[in-house]
Amino acid sequence: MARVELPEETKRRIEAIGSVDVLIGVWGTVGRDGFYERAAQVIAELGETAQKIVFAFPGDTPPEQPPSAPDSTVVCLQYPSPSSGPAGELWIEAASAQRSILEIAALLNAGSCLVLNADLVALHVQSIQMLLYASVEKQCDLVTPIYPVGKYDGLINSGILSPLTRALYGRRVRYPLPFEFGVSARLSTRLALSARSGNQADRSLLWPATVAAIDAAPIGQVYLDVHHHVPTEGLELSVVLAQLVGSAFLEMEQYAAQWQRVRASQQTPTWGTPTPPPVSEEPIDAKPMIDSFLLGSKNLDEVWRLVLPPVTLLELKHLARQSPEQFRMPDTLWVKIVYDFALAHRLRTISRTHLLGALTPLYLGWVASYVREVSNMTHAAAEQRLEQLARAYEDNKPYLVSRWRWPDRFNP
Amino acid sequence: MWNQVEQSLHQSMVRVINKIAILLPGILAFIVALLIFLVIAWALAMLARRILIAVKFDERMGKGTGTIAEWTPRYTPTLLITRVIFWGFIIIGLLVGVSAFEAGSSEAGISAYIFSYIPRIIGAAILLLAGTVLGRFLSRSVLIASVNLNLSYARILSMGVRWLIFVLTAAMVLDHLALGGEIVELAFGILFGGIVLALALAVGLGSRDLVSRSLEREAARPVEVPAPERLHHF
Repeated sequence: MARVELPEETKRRIEAIGSVDVLIGVWGTVGRDGFYERAAQVIAELGETAQKIVFAFPGDTPPEQPPSAPDSTVVCLQYPSPSSGPAGELWIEAASAQRSILEIAALLNAGSCLVLNADLVALHVQSIQMLLYASVEKQCDLVTPIYPVGKYDGLINSGILSPLTRALYGRRVRYPLPFEFGVSARLSTRLALSARSGNQADRSLLWPATVAAIDAAPIGQVYLDVHHHVPTEGLELSVVLAQLVGSAFLEMEQYAAQWQRVRASQQTPTWGTPTPPPVSEEPIDAKPMIDSFLLGSKNLDEVWRLVLPPVTLLELKHLARQSPEQFRMPDTLWVKIVYDFALAHRLRTISRTHLLGALTPLYLGWVASYVREVSNMTHAAAEQRLEQLARAYEDNKPYLVSRWRWPDRFNP
Repeated sequence: MWNQVEQSLHQSMVRVINKIAILLPGILAFIVALLIFLVIAWALAMLARRILIAVKFDERMGKGTGTIAEWTPRYTPTLLITRVIFWGFIIIGLLVGVSAFEAGSSEAGISAYIFSYIPRIIGAAILLLAGTVLGRFLSRSVLIASVNLNLSYARILSMGVRWLIFVLTAAMVLDHLALGGEIVELAFGILFGGIVLALALAVGLGSRDLVSRSLEREAARPVEVPAPERLHHF
């Protein structure tokens, strides 16, 4: 396992600080003044505390104490900012920065470590208290958030990442790839070490829920009243989908021996009060997504044929013939597509870049079907619909296990 | 007269049989050399395969992003290396066989001619292999990227890329083998130039009005404020 290398200067500062109770680390680009302002606000609202707290944020300028830090129990620490790449590399940069924070937490021997997004919307006292409550009071090794998102938000997570993680590792975590999370001292060391070795080490994403589930560590979820806005400018859906799903498939390969033994899934304890979604959710026109699916169906048949079994191809052909009003992709079909793509990724049936690129029209087909189905549903009903999808992932897991173990066996 | 015919037939039969008798040891030597190298190739390929599996060569190679597996995903690096070793020894066996044939049949000049041509054949084979792999990979890349960009002519674009690379490869291979002489270069130049000219004329003349109308429309269009997206994938 590879470990994040911190510069000597940062290590010296960490040694000077000694062990701490809580490390609050921010990943991503953040202005020092803006960060100090928010940190000062949090410090003031937390009031006098016996705990030693360290705030870590990325930057290359020499650190200094925030102006309103009350005493020596609160310290600010800067760590080197990860080099920023193209827009599509957002998640890779995030994982790199998150690993740096976890490495600092391990070196500081921090009792709890909270990793927060650079937009600082979660850097307020309620969120921090909620995350610390689950981490310290409830002794969860990992605390992940539940965001108040609408039924049309975070669809890669809802349609693939969350149900796939749940089916594979047996833990019902709503956001397996969260913007912020809290970890215990034990898990922060484990996660800092979780980078893949070799020349892909700094390109792998961080999946805290997967690592915690594999270690059978206690996981908790908290409702956070936080709205993140992911800048989509310059981001291509196919690139992001390939990056996120490709990383999930790599994790599947790494932990294949463990997830094949997992049956069903466990409920994750959740604390806090859910906040209603922010905007009114009017129906969305699914026609452009259906068109993308049809274009893929017309042109990518030769690629899909290498990955999907004949029965799935037949169902996709039937789907392509449906009118836009009747367009509906069954859960089982979608789940089997994801599982077959995961298997092809492992077997390298075709180039991985091509494979993940060929998934985009199918994903848009699922999105179109989902959007049409939930257009007249309430938020709660849409959540129930996603729960039904997650159960389909679990129900079809034997299909995945069988194909994973005996890929050459006849599969009609 | 019949005697003369019979005599000439008899003489020609004797000459042919003599020729075969002279060539036979050479052919036998060729087959024996080939069989020996076939066994050596098979044994060495098996040995290499076992060693590569023992050192987990595929896993080590699979960790990179630009690995062999990305280009030829159906073949593992181990399989590729063992096949290269096997066919390498078969080719050496063929060369040894040709030399043995020459020595056994006292036919001078065959091996010298073949040996002088071998570097060209190897170069051409490598060009052909690289061109085929590149053509297939790039055409599939173009197809998938075009579909994801919602281009309705994705397949035509992909086929165009594939045939462009195949034609270029074929021209390079023939040139490398010194076959066809200047005809290949000339034909290739005319073909490529013709395609570019046809495209230029098609766009320049055929679509002139379309392009000007499109530009006018763009210029006249008021600046639109994009509506906020209501569907978020991430």
